[in-house]
Amino acid sequence: MSNTYLDQFPAEAKVVRAAFYSSFFALAIGGLFGIVQTLHRTDVYRFMDSADYYTVLTAHGVLLAITFTIFFLVGVFTWAVTTSLDRGVENLRFTWAWYGLMVIGTAMAAIPIFAGFTDSIDMSASVLFTFYAPLQGHPLFYLGLVLFVVGTWLAGVDWFRSWRAWKAEHPDERIPLPTFMVLTTTIMWYIATLGVAAAILLFLLPWSLGLIESVNPLLTRTLFWFFGHPVVYFWLMPTYMMWYVMLPKFSGGKLFSDPLARVVFVLFLILSVPTGIHHQYLDPGIAEGFKFIAMTNTMFLLLPSLLTAFTVVASMEHGARQRGGTGYFGWLKALPWRDPVFTGMALAGLMFAAAGFSGMVNAGMNINYLVHNTFWVVGHFHLTVGTAVALTFMAVTYWFLPQITGKALWSRPVALVQVVLWFVGMTFMSNAMHRAGLLGVPRRTAEPQYEGVTFEAAVGSVGELNAQIALGGVILTISLVLFFANVIATGFNGRSDELPSNGYADALSGPEDAPLVLDNLKLWTAIAIVLVIFAYTFPLLSIVQRGGLFGPEVITFPVSLESLAPIAAALEYGGLATVDGVASAVTGALEPGRIAIAEVVR
Amino acid sequence: MSQSIDESTQTTEIGHDEYDPVGTLALIGLYFLILVALWIFVYFVEFLGNDPTVVTGSALLLAGVGHR
Amino acid sequence: MNVHTYEKLWLIAAMVLIVGFIATITYGSVGLGIAMVGDQQETVEPTELADDERFGEPRVEQIGDDEYEVYVVAQTFSFQPDPIEVPENSQVTFHVTARDVIHSFSLAGTNVNTMVIPGEVAEMTVEFDDPEVYGVVCNEYCGPDHHNMEGQVHVVPEDEFDLTEVSVDAPDEVDAGESATVDVTVENRMLDGLETTAELEIGGETSVEEVALEGGEATEVTFTVDPETLEADDSDVEWAVTVDDHEERGTVTVIDAGDEDGGDDGGETDE
Repeated sequence: MSNTYLDQFPAEAKVVRAAFYSSFFALAIGGLFGIVQTLHRTDVYRFMDSADYYTVLTAHGVLLAITFTIFFLVGVFTWAVTTSLDRGVENLRFTWAWYGLMVIGTAMAAIPIFAGFTDSIDMSASVLFTFYAPLQGHPLFYLGLVLFVVGTWLAGVDWFRSWRAWKAEHPDERIPLPTFMVLTTTIMWYIATLGVAAAILLFLLPWSLGLIESVNPLLTRTLFWFFGHPVVYFWLMPTYMMWYVMLPKFSGGKLFSDPLARVVFVLFLILSVPTGIHHQYLDPGIAEGFKFIAMTNTMFLLLPSLLTAFTVVASMEHGARQRGGTGYFGWLKALPWRDPVFTGMALAGLMFAAAGFSGMVNAGMNINYLVHNTFWVVGHFHLTVGTAVALTFMAVTYWFLPQITGKALWSRPVALVQVVLWFVGMTFMSNAMHRAGLLGVPRRTAEPQYEGVTFEAAVGSVGELNAQIALGGVILTISLVLFFANVIATGFNGRSDELPSNGYADALSGPEDAPLVLDNLKLWTAIAIVLVIFAYTFPLLSIVQRGGLFGPEVITFPVSLESLAPIAAALEYGGLATVDGVASAVTGALEPGRIAIAEVVR
Repeated sequence: MSQSIDESTQTTEIGHDEYDPVGTLALIGLYFLILVALWIFVYFVEFLGNDPTVVTGSALLLAGVGHR
Repeated sequence: MNVHTYEKLWLIAAMVLIVGFIATITYGSVGLGIAMVGDQQETVEPTELADDERFGEPRVEQIGDDEYEVYVVAQTFSFQPDPIEVPENSQVTFHVTARDVIHSFSLAGTNVNTMVIPGEVAEMTVEFDDPEVYGVVCNEYCGPDHHNMEGQVHVVPEDEFDLTEVSVDAPDEVDAGESATVDVTVENRMLDGLETTAELEIGGETSVEEVALEGGEATEVTFTVDPETLEADDSDVEWAVTVDDHEERGTVTVIDAGDEDGGDDGGETDE
């Protein structure tokens, strides 16, 4: 008889399953768009108009960076809270409600993005993942994002409710480590999302609805990065959680230090947000002093990651030595490299070590003249969110799938090949992206081939770099296909009675060694807020003082003409989408208008 | 399942006090050296060698005045 | 809380790394004088750039012996002026703003790179040593034609560089048998004086006038063209005015008295 998560919490397992499947759906579409872009950009194979590239890029960014990661992590967090507190959610309908809200929000944001592909619906949100004003997306896009974020807020409420209920019954116990990680991450997320909520609700949404005339582009951009940097920790902290509480177990050992894991998460809580300005080192209108403060905060944010590197590797080494490993490096051979779950996570960690370096460069203030908005940055985040996070999530899926379906994994060898292929593909792609960035090749462009601009490589050539990027992209796509084959085929397996039990790693140095103050969430929240106020008050005041709250008068640049109409009309248009005749007539009339706008702007 | 197979290959039980992560220290020491070397390369060769660079206009003006 | 000795060592090493990184960056700022784009410049109204003192006319301006200021406007999907021409061995301060959405102004393969935000002005001072052509790209997504947004900065040899502006006032039509006057305005926007010539080539004949200008001065040179010069097979007579490497071209149509269609007829017989 098995003792899987499904056996322990059958109702919650369904929620986790739904969240995972939503996440995989986003991964599939986002991944497909990934290969389309790779081939287009490198000019290996182009089948669409270059203007559509930006629609593909928007969908790729939103679906992978937001939808894939966050749906997966709400699943993991729900599993972590219920498993470590050993109690089900307080109200299952509430749990399904936040999941439902996230789905509706995603769908609402996706409609205008995908409508950008067709001229028969006059709706678009090809504003990329960063939606910088005065580029303006359809109101439905902003509204969808808001609902999605509100969904995650309610998910946080759910986890806090579970913890409070548990605390009432266990007043003198330490917060179990997985729950502690969930709670600190959630508080960080609440603080971080205030930025994007303010940007959308106060400025971008009213502006896209025509309620206000203009916005201050530097202000909305700064509010975006208030959220835009810590969002990466929202993906990364569940990854760290997997490395801390699962990887030691798969290595055959124990977590080296529970107290240090808590210290790391507290550091992330207090330092994640007051760093966003490091994305704006090259922005005019922000004083150098503010940029320097953001850099100092960012550099100290390296500390929790560097500590994690030690603790996680030491936990793996503990497993290796218990399995008979010896020597300074010889112990590495004793690790379970045939286990796709372990190997995937270990390779993801290795890639993150490399990403750590390019991140250190990104954090350096003046060196941003070299790398800012070049392909280097794209190489960096394909190592972080694209590998450290995505590969860990995929690898740990091979452990989670049996837990939430009650079915054995379809094929472990295929899973092993899949995680290794991802590592190899990303090595090619990301290394070439970093190198291209150093030559000044820009990111976010459909055709980095110019008439009057050449990129000179001291070693190799741009052609060679493009070939590596395309090759990497193809390998990554094959890896994704294998992943989905395994997930789908596992779904067709019958129920198994011989699955591993649900659980997570024990610690060598347990919570009893951790000072009580670490569990004082109110204290850390207060410190986090003070640091945010310290880092952001003066820059924001200065930006508002310079450019005004609603900015100078700007020329609105809607990516679709429809965006000025009220939402009701927009929804109606969505319904009309199927009536081709009417819609194409409308588009025929509007297409010249779109060109005219570009002319007027000139 | 293989998870249980993996666990069964455990040969010894190593407790907190008898475990020194010397392999981790070796690996992370190596990482430290790589980081330092790469940082020096990217900052001093790639970045500072990528002239022209944005400089403080006013400081140069002062220097220019000094020359005259 | 007991932390293993090795991990304490690593903690110290990590702090050394962090402090070392911050120290390197600080050395770049203070020791090497690398300045960040900041809030030095006053804001502008993006919709009123045409009337703006700084950006009404995107241009290169000389402010000192080897010092220049460049006012650049980025807009969908081009930079103005383009190309930007500056001399070698100069110190150039770029002022860049945007007319519409967020762009960037980035000289490929260099450390000259800034965001360009509507309402804000990015200021960057750069030293150019040797003659070179730099490609300029916009590296922030700005709309469906973003990938076609590019420009160039030409750093040219000192003797090929000037800030001379030439404008020509010539008649479109002239009656047969009448003489024509061509006024050439030459403006020297450099600080140093300019000695050169203005040359008019018309109907196969060339006349040359000396031009001598102090820095910042403008002058007008008048050429009077004889009626004989304007007698040609074709009633359209081409002219060209050359001042150094600036050239203006145009056509004068000679109209036969009493025959208003003369010009057209002439054109037809030519075919």
